[in-house]
Amino acid sequence: MTELTQGHPIASLVEEDGEALSFRVHRSAYRSQEVFQTETSRIWGHTWLYLGHETEIPKPGDFKTRTLGGRPLIFCRDSSGEIQVFLNACTHRGTVLCRFSEGNTKFFQCFYHAWAFSNSGDLAALPGDDAYADVDGFRERMRLRSVPRIASHEGFVFIAFDPDVPDLLTHLGKAAHYMSLTARIGPAGMETVPGVQLYSVKGNWKLAVENAMDGYHFAPTHNTFVGYLRETGFAVTDDDQYAYDLGGGHGLLILTGHNGRIGMVWEPRFGEAERERTVAKREEMVDRLGSELAAEIADASRILFVFPNLLLFDLEALTIRQLEPVAPDRTDVRAWQFVEVDEPADVRALRIKTMVSFVGPGGLATPDDIEAYEAVQRGIEATADSADPRFDWSDMSRGMANEREGNQGRSIDEGAMRSFWRHWAAVAGRD
Amino acid sequence: MSTERTQQVERSERPEQVERKENVVGGRTITRPEVEDFLYREAQLLDEWRLDEWFTLFEEGGRLEVATTDWKGWDSSSAGSFMCDDYDLIRARVKRLKSRKAHAENPHSRTHRMISNVLILEQGESTVWVAANFIVHRYRDGGTYTYVGRYEHVLLVEDEGLRFRLRRAIPAMEAMDAGARLSFIL
Repeated sequence: MTELTQGHPIASLVEEDGEALSFRVHRSAYRSQEVFQTETSRIWGHTWLYLGHETEIPKPGDFKTRTLGGRPLIFCRDSSGEIQVFLNACTHRGTVLCRFSEGNTKFFQCFYHAWAFSNSGDLAALPGDDAYADVDGFRERMRLRSVPRIASHEGFVFIAFDPDVPDLLTHLGKAAHYMSLTARIGPAGMETVPGVQLYSVKGNWKLAVENAMDGYHFAPTHNTFVGYLRETGFAVTDDDQYAYDLGGGHGLLILTGHNGRIGMVWEPRFGEAERERTVAKREEMVDRLGSELAAEIADASRILFVFPNLLLFDLEALTIRQLEPVAPDRTDVRAWQFVEVDEPADVRALRIKTMVSFVGPGGLATPDDIEAYEAVQRGIEATADSADPRFDWSDMSRGMANEREGNQGRSIDEGAMRSFWRHWAAVAGRD
Repeated sequence: MSTERTQQVERSERPEQVERKENVVGGRTITRPEVEDFLYREAQLLDEWRLDEWFTLFEEGGRLEVATTDWKGWDSSSAGSFMCDDYDLIRARVKRLKSRKAHAENPHSRTHRMISNVLILEQGESTVWVAANFIVHRYRDGGTYTYVGRYEHVLLVEDEGLRFRLRRAIPAMEAMDAGARLSFIL
């Protein structure tokens, strides 16, 4: 057994009894600093993490800086066009090397002692370098530190701080296919656009994962959004909506009764012009992809979770959301609109308006999700160190009977949350 | 930074520039105090959650935008934003926020708005482009949140007053702080 958290080893914070149809998570999993530190090292330190999309840095020299797993990074395209990811710390004394959030440069120069590194990591210049003339290989040793592993799938760039992780496609497993479906929506490909939503929630990162994999909350939490959709002439239903365990902690909701899909499934609020375009786009997709693949991509909405920090919302339109845990009770979120390359301006406008009105901290729905995670984070203080230890557990058993009968779990069950927590317990609770 | 951003406001949204010696717009004189009164009155309606009255401050077809913190003057129809409501969505947002099922704002946050640095930037035949700075304090559930930024609005000048053609808030913060969601009207 490893760390004890209120008397519980981490693996035992998730407790499952199939016979009794019981599945519960101990609430210290959301509260404990010790659990948080363990996650930082065992999950964020040893798993592929979603960093960003290749289209964020389209041109040689483009860079973005962002923090992942608590480590400041430079995500850049070097002068030869290769994607590079460096620890954003000068190799000399550790100063943050690049203090801009984005830009384009051939060199990153540390302000402190003016060491300059090329965008492929070479130590290109340092003042008074004759002082190091007698040191063999000094410049080579002082190259900018790359993250140990960098790989991309369909333009989604992942990194790992552990050089020994299995290859990316092994990690992604079945999730890779669903990323590929989304990547094929646009005939000229897909890209992120500027206008990144940067916000932070007062809740544990796992509450954000649960919320995205939880169809049960949709009707009550998003009552006002469902009402808005109904008024626009589109009835939302929980029928024919399923949750899938993709293995490796990855999860998927496939939603058919949920909403329209711009260019693929029309609904009245998209307008008449879009109705005609939807027919034409489906023909284009069938020509390009074949009818079976076109239908798989177009007919259903999907919410994909790639363990541990990527959520891909493929709904009316597309949002990429990245989770960055900052503390047990705080998670930074970055969210990008993901759009078809070269789509007509009116479609782009419709896409962005529709998606921002739903998903995002200023939408008609996401604020209520944030309210939910923040209210859970506050509420679970009530049962901490409770006189009756049975009170300090959260229940995630919905749909277990159905699951045990071998039926496909519905989105309104809690199966996708259970598969996430089982994997979490295996990884964070590993001896 | 604000000046740079101002210069990057897309041309199509600026009022058509007209050479004038005095502030005559829509057939009458427009003054900064009138713009200030309009903005202060709006702030009062929002702080008092009088959203139906607030909605009447928009002309039919008016728009509501909240830019992201990385905004560099781009058009909200081509880039991400925190809010980019057309008139129907503003109406839907008002309806939602009045519902007790808008959980993020039930109970309502307490908000307190300060508006200053009001400027008339440009004027057209019937519209005026104005800028102002804002600080909005929001209080809820023991948390305090401060939103700082700049407004850049396009206002329609009518005989009876001013109305929003475009109401745009541009946050000055680097990101929305923990808990500083946009569940209300910024």
